[in-house]
Amino acid sequence: MRFDFYEPTTIGECIEMLTHFGQEASLLAGGTDLLVKLRLRHIRPQAVISLGVIDELKKLERKSDGSLEIGAMKTLQEVESSNLLANEFDLVRQGAGCVSSIQVRNVATLGGNSCNASPSADTVPALIALGAEVQIVGPHGERHLVLEDFFTGPGETVLQKGEILTEFKLPAPSSHSGGTYKKYAIRGEVDISIVGVATRLTLDRNHKLQEVRIVLGGVAPTPNRVRRAEDMLVGQDPREELFEEAAQLAAEESRPISDQRATAQYRREMVKVWTRYTLQETFQKARQNHHGKG
Amino acid sequence: MKQRKELNVNGKIYEVFVEPWRTLLEVLREELHLTGAKMGCDDGNCGACTVVIDGKAIKGCLMLVPQAKGKKILTIEGLGSGENLHPLQQAFIDHFAVQCGFCTPGMIMSAKALLDEKPDATEEEIRSGLQGNICRCTGYVKIVEAVEAARDKLAQKSNPL
Repeated sequence: MRFDFYEPTTIGECIEMLTHFGQEASLLAGGTDLLVKLRLRHIRPQAVISLGVIDELKKLERKSDGSLEIGAMKTLQEVESSNLLANEFDLVRQGAGCVSSIQVRNVATLGGNSCNASPSADTVPALIALGAEVQIVGPHGERHLVLEDFFTGPGETVLQKGEILTEFKLPAPSSHSGGTYKKYAIRGEVDISIVGVATRLTLDRNHKLQEVRIVLGGVAPTPNRVRRAEDMLVGQDPREELFEEAAQLAAEESRPISDQRATAQYRREMVKVWTRYTLQETFQKARQNHHGKG
Repeated sequence: MKQRKELNVNGKIYEVFVEPWRTLLEVLREELHLTGAKMGCDDGNCGACTVVIDGKAIKGCLMLVPQAKGKKILTIEGLGSGENLHPLQQAFIDHFAVQCGFCTPGMIMSAKALLDEKPDATEEEIRSGLQGNICRCTGYVKIVEAVEAARDKLAQKSNPL
């Protein structure tokens, strides 16, 4: 492991460096994934460019329209303990709290968890379920896309040469909604997820399902939404049998692999169980919020 | 290429001359000879290398030395002063929360950060706060008891009746 270390202080300076080094550079956010890859010689960059002192990347702001902006360099611990993210945005806190141990969450960042592009990243299903958009800045200006379109495969994203993910934008959520992220792993948080499921439900005035998001992690090359199940639920009266059916669809749509943590068959079965549980839990939360706010 | 770095460890400023790819753990142990933080797995799983930076527990093996620039680093060596043990250190002895001892400095540093933030941490919070520290000897029961005892001792100190 040998490299030069750079510490730009602005996004502009960082992009210049990234453009200059191209494939020879690695970006360092918290470093909890990067250092392991460097140590194992999975990557051998000539330059490591740290985002650690770029203040623009550390914001956390509720906008006047109710939406929320989270800088890519917010640590998972800051996200997990933020009061701004309580209530409607609690899903993000749940996801962040599921990542590894406190020592890692104190350093690892929300942006890093996405850019590392692990199919089982715990914050990603939660963010997608909340409709998160990412802001990408590069040598040709900035662009925005929904987080679910950010990933192209395990460890791979749409980021082009010189581009960085700068922040997440979460749209203002309806108050009649609830969200749940559940991680399934053998050794709790410190272990990598076998399956992760985030669900989000919004109820309309008549208590019908107005908006539904079901997002799976760890069971396909990228985290993804189960649109068939979402579409099936929209407009319906929430009931146990429907959640059961949606869970079945989620299992069918998943494309898991077998590895040392679990077999594909087991993962698919767990998708079913976890989707059903999270839908039930999410529905309870949405109903409470509905009543709570009249 | 080696670079001059200043590190603030246990209240003392050290000047080191190291390559940027060295981890904080390596520099603490090999340059500053502070060998309390242990190198176990060296990939962020075991927690034996836990130190406290700006009040937060981190894994020394997952941080490059330039990332620690300008931060206050506390290691197990900065906790007591040989004769005067920190209540956590004393509690680990009193409750026999040590067997081989390899995980102990990391456990104590995680517990230190936890109790500083939540002086009234419950057993459940203690268990969850120590999740990133692996002990292969004790089964954790004595360790959790020791942290609870230290918590009570520290509470007495700050609220003498």
